[in-house]
Amino acid sequence: MSAPLILGLMTVLFLFFGYLGVPVAFSLMAGVFIGAAFTDVTFPAIVQKIFDGMDSEALLAIPFFLLVGELMSSANVVSRITNLSLALVGHIRGGLSQVVTVFSMFFSEMSGSTTADVAVISRALGGPMKKEGYSPAFTAAIIAAASTIAALVPPSITAVVYGAVGNVSIAGLFMAGVVPGFMIGFGLMIYCYIFGPAGMRRPRAAFRDVAHAFKDASLPLMIPIILLGGILTGWFTPTEAGVVAAIWILAVVIPSLNRAHIRLLPYDFCIAGLIFSLPLITIGAANAFGWMLAYLRGAIVIAEWITSIAGNDPHLIMLMMVLLFTIIGDFIEPVPTIIIFMPLVNALTVAGDINPVHMGVVLIATLAFGLITPPYGLVLLMASKFIGVRFSQALRAALPIYVVFLGTIAFAIYFPKVVLWLPKQVIPESVGCFKNPSGPGYICPP
Amino acid sequence: MRISEKLAKKLLLKRQRHLKWRAFDVLEITLMILCGVLLFGFSTTVMFDIVTREIGRPWLWLQEVTQTFFIYGIFIGAAVATRRNDHLYLTAVADALHGIPRLVAEIVIRLVVLGVAFCLIYFGYKNFLRGFSSFRMPSLTPIASLYAAIPIAGSLIALFTIEQLVNGCRKGFDHPEPQEDLLATTPILTVPSSVRRP
Repeated sequence: MSAPLILGLMTVLFLFFGYLGVPVAFSLMAGVFIGAAFTDVTFPAIVQKIFDGMDSEALLAIPFFLLVGELMSSANVVSRITNLSLALVGHIRGGLSQVVTVFSMFFSEMSGSTTADVAVISRALGGPMKKEGYSPAFTAAIIAAASTIAALVPPSITAVVYGAVGNVSIAGLFMAGVVPGFMIGFGLMIYCYIFGPAGMRRPRAAFRDVAHAFKDASLPLMIPIILLGGILTGWFTPTEAGVVAAIWILAVVIPSLNRAHIRLLPYDFCIAGLIFSLPLITIGAANAFGWMLAYLRGAIVIAEWITSIAGNDPHLIMLMMVLLFTIIGDFIEPVPTIIIFMPLVNALTVAGDINPVHMGVVLIATLAFGLITPPYGLVLLMASKFIGVRFSQALRAALPIYVVFLGTIAFAIYFPKVVLWLPKQVIPESVGCFKNPSGPGYICPP
Repeated sequence: MRISEKLAKKLLLKRQRHLKWRAFDVLEITLMILCGVLLFGFSTTVMFDIVTREIGRPWLWLQEVTQTFFIYGIFIGAAVATRRNDHLYLTAVADALHGIPRLVAEIVIRLVVLGVAFCLIYFGYKNFLRGFSSFRMPSLTPIASLYAAIPIAGSLIALFTIEQLVNGCRKGFDHPEPQEDLLATTPILTVPSSVRRP
């Protein structure tokens, strides 16, 4: 059987099994095992590739970020962040929809997980929005859209996976994700202000109230400072920063703010211990799938096809990748997509002489967009279920919001200097800069 | 009721009770506790790794212990998630079917998982045997100690899949579930089965 046929068979089987209801990890493994049966690759080699996919030090960060998110929500300390968001933007036209966006910008910097964000925001603000008369469809749409910020800003788990698999600086991806992440956040706020429901008008919070809300939320707000501060100063790797953040919650936040929750910590650990295994077993399976794609030269064939159209133009290459990832992201989740297509991404990054961090941020933003597009917009789907509205209605309400995402992705493609400005200032090595051997400062690629 | 009993009761998932044998409930609870212990274990070893490095006396073996906890955590978690139906799903067309089509779809799903599980057992075992000739540094422990997680997880996945297959064929897969309050009962980072798109 020819290589394209084997690849086609693997893909069809994966999608067929996956959409039938087989877990993603097992669908991927089944597709790879059956595909490998038609090649010289042995089955023990496939099992080895599955193992190798998860045996990465960088991936160790994932359980800690998930643990931080689980502890933050389970210990119910998020109400303080809600109050802070309300004090900051509750008076602006759009009311609670503005609060949703600002809340997500805060919480994303603690959890790094879009699914955590959507569950927590739905829990914290879904009810109040309903009471204030926001349509359930709009509520689900804005919560889902705001939750995708977690895929971009640190400590994004998607960025951790991308960095670990693609050998790209995770700290660089974190920093470069800040501009597009906040662009989506502020874009959503502008959208809510102009086009969203007016909501209930509240008086502007007095400075004293804002200061009080900040003080109340100060302990949880230390988490992004620990995470970013530790990574940026070079004290910690992302994994270690995750551990320190978890210790901060366990030793300081929960005992200070919700002492009664301490006896429930064993349960939190058991649940977080289960949850972290789910993306990681999928990463292992996707690694074997991606390896087969590379082994059968599938990545090279697609890369050659893209470069035959786009040449070496980095913008055109990225636009085609965005198109490809938008289509793929509509059917498959971000993590397996990244791992399966990393050989292709690497080939095109080299072909277009694109900064790997820039390519990473553009693709992560695209995959975040895929979380609210049909037919498989996981985050929109979760939001619609949590809010209690039909997916099709939430989808219609989300359609105009797509402009914010498309604008951000286009901006990220065409203005790499803006996107890479922050990592260049903070961690120059992460974007390919090196120390000037004959003077102070760094020499950076153009 | 003691805290440990309360914890055990809370850890046992009530969903899809008709597909489970009570005899395996203890195993599910044990594996869930093991997940927590492994996560706690590698959190602690990473913390000690940072501390000992910062004081200039690093314990090199800590990274090996961390890696062991991490790998076993993934495979044990994947195994118990099979019984709890907590895995990540693309969607579940089968959930929207009823009668014979549902039965056929559910059986196909379990057979696919079972096939993968047997591959993990057999070929994972082969890798395990091969792993005695490679060693982890600095302890010189055979890497087989890590590879053992694969056939162990494969066996547990196969066991839980057979459990679901037998119970599903006897009692039917299509069973009304008690209406759950999604926001109140779902651990926040998982996608509850009722959220999966039909």
